[in-house]
Amino acid sequence: MDSDSSNIRLFNVSKRYGAKYALKDVSLDIKKGEFVALMGESGCGKTTLLNIIGCLHPLTDGEYFLDGENIGEVRDDYTLAFIRNKMMGFIFQQFNLFSRLTALKNVALPALYAGTEKGIREEKATSLMKSVNIEDRASHKPTELSGGQQQRVSICRSLINNPDIILADEPTGALDSKSGIEIMEIFIDLKKKNKTIIMVTHTAEVAKYADRIIFMRDGKAVNNNYKLTSNY
Amino acid sequence: MKLEIIKMALESLLANKTRTILSMLGIIIGVSTVIAVFAIGQGAKKAVDDQFQGLSANSILVMAMRGKTESSKLKTADSKVIVENCQHISSATAVIQENMAVSFESEDGTFGILGVENNYFEMSNIEIDKGRLISEEDMDNNEKAAVLGSGVAETLFLEDEEIIGKNIKINGKTIEVIGIVKETGRSMGKSSLDDSVFLPNSMAEKSILGSKAFIMIFTIADDVENIEIASKEIVSSLRTEHQLRDSQADDFRIMDAGAMVGAAQDAAALMSLLLTAIAAITLLVSGIGIMNVMFVTVAERTKEIGIAKAIGGKRGDILSQFLLESVVLSMIGGVIGIIIGNSVIFIFRNTELITLAPSLIGIIIGFSFSVLVGVFFGFYPALKASRLDPVDALRSE
Ligand SMILES: Nc1ncnc2c1ncn2[C@@H]1O[C@H](COP(=O)(O)OP(=O)(O)OP(=O)(O)O)[C@@H](O)[C@H]1O
Ligand SMILES: [Mg+2]
Repeated sequence: MDSDSSNIRLFNVSKRYGAKYALKDVSLDIKKGEFVALMGESGCGKTTLLNIIGCLHPLTDGEYFLDGENIGEVRDDYTLAFIRNKMMGFIFQQFNLFSRLTALKNVALPALYAGTEKGIREEKATSLMKSVNIEDRASHKPTELSGGQQQRVSICRSLINNPDIILADEPTGALDSKSGIEIMEIFIDLKKKNKTIIMVTHTAEVAKYADRIIFMRDGKAVNNNYKLTSNY
Repeated sequence: MKLEIIKMALESLLANKTRTILSMLGIIIGVSTVIAVFAIGQGAKKAVDDQFQGLSANSILVMAMRGKTESSKLKTADSKVIVENCQHISSATAVIQENMAVSFESEDGTFGILGVENNYFEMSNIEIDKGRLISEEDMDNNEKAAVLGSGVAETLFLEDEEIIGKNIKINGKTIEVIGIVKETGRSMGKSSLDDSVFLPNSMAEKSILGSKAFIMIFTIADDVENIEIASKEIVSSLRTEHQLRDSQADDFRIMDAGAMVGAAQDAAALMSLLLTAIAAITLLVSGIGIMNVMFVTVAERTKEIGIAKAIGGKRGDILSQFLLESVVLSMIGGVIGIIIGNSVIFIFRNTELITLAPSLIGIIIGFSFSVLVGVFFGFYPALKASRLDPVDALRSE
């Protein structure tokens, strides 16, 4: 494999909880700018895999290369936090916004952690919110926003430090199909901007937007290169 | 960056007002106690200083037994007895004291009336300002003459008024003012010397105060070393003078300056020690309260901690966020405590009950303690928060 063009490369990665393997010998190679969907039945290890890629979890076995760098052994909080902050953006099914902060402050929070000056980070946050048409909701708290709007806020948050990789765990899972489609259209835009997107989903409707689908079963990647015919 | 985190800490404290206020209560009580401790300490020191200022270390004081003024045979003439019979006493002067209304024309006020001997002024380091002091002739002739403290002169007379030679009225008796003494800033017992009128004690006893007035005899030993022997001499000379049988107890009591200052200081120190212990316990308990509240807060916000880590929050960020919250909590409590403590001091500052003096050191120590409690007791919960596993934290609801 050519690791130079690989954004993310896993080699025989396993994750064990006690005696039980949540992931077993998963190998995959995701190129920069690829949009990949992760599918499989509940409990097969999709979230676990996403968390490993997102450096939220240490892996039990195997190797993890990020931009050619072996980071599977890294345990240092400062480095891991830096990777999560600058190189990845997380999007969750339940949005996971801070209820006490306004939409704008939620979007700007990762930049606060990165040490970006207040003026700059809020300007960036505003322009991101403009790009997904929610700038008029900037001073509202998450509870005052619709599900679709909250998910767009969380997408903006994932983009504020301009990471290469977007990790989305069932981003449309809590939305109606119309809002879901709007989110997917944003993802297509992001792909055009050369972001690598890894998205967990249960629905073919959503998965068809991806370049390819990785199917998982019982902690294993059983098909790495499935393609649904897309209609976009 | 820091400012935003302080703002977030404040916001989360405001989101839980009742809990915040309850957990602050301990700190508020603790810090106001610290403030009170220092005020009492400072006040006691000031009171002791005021009371005993001008009293040299070789002074010995003789008074009637507490509560037995009437049955005591102590009299003004005993000062002569003491000087004559006690080898180690170089001088002695008797003072009788009572508070009474004094008036001049339409002005009046209540002042301490001190019946003194002519040697009193020299022994007490009181200097004449205008006119003259009480003389031996005044004593011998029972002269109706008065020397005024500076405060009395200010109250009864106008600023430029010629005072010497004017007649004032004490208890209906007309007395001529012969002199005014310089301001001393000192007090004797409860009354300020500046707010006192000095009269020849023979006249005062006969015409104004009567024989039931409170009597004190100031004596001065020839050397600090001889205080003990001198005290014994006083006891035996007075027992002889009062014709007490061996089976009878003394009808007077003796205090030397060292013992008086020491006793007053000991009492103040004990009070401070007790209050310090109370303050320390209150601060400890309030600290545990804050720790408890912070643990609850961390548990409640576990999911938030997971999110914060997922979007790139470092352990340090999370630690400082929670630590700041507990420090802000205890600091606000500290400030409220300082305000309450000082208000209490302000209210009670001039009462007879207790002497209080606000102390800057008290404020500084009170505030530092509140911050310290916040840091110390907030640290462990904050550390636990920062060490949470991000995935476990995200999974929690
Ligand atoms: N902290 C944990 N301790 C023990 N077992 C765990 C833990 N987290 C996950 N697992 C197990 O690992 C397996 C994979 O879980 P994971 O959350 O990755 O599944 P998933 O594919 O995301 O499922 P879903 O589609 O329901 O979200 C499951 O069997 C789960 O029970
Ligand atoms: Mg999952």
